[in-house]
Amino acid sequence: MDIVDPVGSSAAPSRSLASRPASLEGVTIALLDNSKPNAKEVLERLGALLAARAGARAVRVWSKPGSSVAATAAVLEEIARSARVALTASAD
Amino acid sequence: MACVVVGTDEFLPLARAQSAARGLPELSVITVPHPIGGIAPGAAAAKAEPVATSVLRALTSAPSAVSAAGAATSGMRGAPSDLDEFQGWLIEQGWGDGLPAIPPTAERVKRMLAGTRREPEEIVAVLVPRLGRATIEAVAANAVMAGALPEHMPVILAAVEALADPSFNLQAVQTTTHPCSPLLIVNGPIARRLGINAAGNALGQGARANAVIGRAVRLTLQNVGGARPGKEDRATHGHPGKYSYCLAENEAASPWEPLSVERGFSPADSTVTVCGSEAPHNINDHGTATPEGLVATVVGTAATTGSNNIYLGGEPLIALGPEHAATVASTGWKKDDFRGAVWDAAGVPRDRFTSENLARFEAIYPEGFQDRSSAAVLRIARDWRDIMVIVTGGAGKHSAFIPTFGATRSVTRKIIE
Repeated sequence: MDIVDPVGSSAAPSRSLASRPASLEGVTIALLDNSKPNAKEVLERLGALLAARAGARAVRVWSKPGSSVAATAAVLEEIARSARVALTASAD
Repeated sequence: MACVVVGTDEFLPLARAQSAARGLPELSVITVPHPIGGIAPGAAAAKAEPVATSVLRALTSAPSAVSAAGAATSGMRGAPSDLDEFQGWLIEQGWGDGLPAIPPTAERVKRMLAGTRREPEEIVAVLVPRLGRATIEAVAANAVMAGALPEHMPVILAAVEALADPSFNLQAVQTTTHPCSPLLIVNGPIARRLGINAAGNALGQGARANAVIGRAVRLTLQNVGGARPGKEDRATHGHPGKYSYCLAENEAASPWEPLSVERGFSPADSTVTVCGSEAPHNINDHGTATPEGLVATVVGTAATTGSNNIYLGGEPLIALGPEHAATVASTGWKKDDFRGAVWDAAGVPRDRFTSENLARFEAIYPEGFQDRSSAAVLRIARDWRDIMVIVTGGAGKHSAFIPTFGATRSVTRKIIE
């Protein structure tokens, strides 16, 4: 028996990832806190560890306005302008 | 900019689905053991150390390619012809809800398509998190599986369109741990014509239209939207309305104008309103004979500390039984008098919240939690107009309080036949 696929096609775009730096020496790391409890604590500890181990220049933190809504375009643009790499928290 | 996602292992399927839907299936996701919330901040931060090396590697080396197979499918699929075998197969595909489903053969889908004038390839909505294209045909396939009839299609299509309205915040409703699911409230002549139950047991079993319309929308959300239970749908418990959650307003038994008319539609229009709702919480009051007394009983059920609406806002719904509605209207109260009185009284004293929750809620909703006096109360909605009221159900002295996810607004769409 053949059935009509109940899933259908996806409008997901095809994108490519940004190039990765060879090292974090001298780069700024952005942290995007998703506003879930303790996400910032985990990201900040990771940022500090990376800065200490890999010689990053700075670690800066941004936040989403709330865990159930997306980051604003302004915040994403500012992160893109300000940092070479970013760590984002997802879900809980 | 090079980016790496950090989350807990429990939520890996959601993070993967999310990156795939954004066109980046190879994006690195590094996980730490769940949970990080609800534990001491120091204990959460300590979970960073074992993964720091992986994060560093992911930030500084090219990611391995990931096949995007399965991201885009459409057309026909081979399936077992035996009906019993089909049921198990459907669940294996991740396309079922656990109840038996009708195979959406080309013939049955064609019959379903007769319920709308719209073209099969027309896209009704793009549904998150998968960014699935809800074509008329894809919705019809899910409607067949749910047991819907062609005449149900206009309601189902209007509901799917409404769910994709940005103010509904479907992304969050589909993937949250909170127990919410779209509640469909149907108003207008179509509800009577299709036999959508607005009377006794309106939210229970027994009425075919309620069962299959709600189920068709649920299956569309799960399959086209890509919110599979235990995978992208992260509900801690879910609730029984996630099988089907559809009723009509009992307009004949209401002392007031229906929800659709309140929202600017004509009484001759048929509409569907979608809300990101919890299961109903009962309000039992067999004794009270005054509107003021009934408000007190409603408030006792509605004003609680463990509520999303109290810190995220949104529109909690009071579904008044007709007898309670008559009591409220008995001294001339309008709907606005009732919602205003409930809002005034439905405050949770600030000192009922734990200190951890107060810290969190203050950060999310500073205006609401800034009053730190001993008399401070938090209300169940940010504005009295946000309290939704409908009249539904049959004989009896019960009403239902139906809170929502909070960060979601109800959306009403006209049903076009």
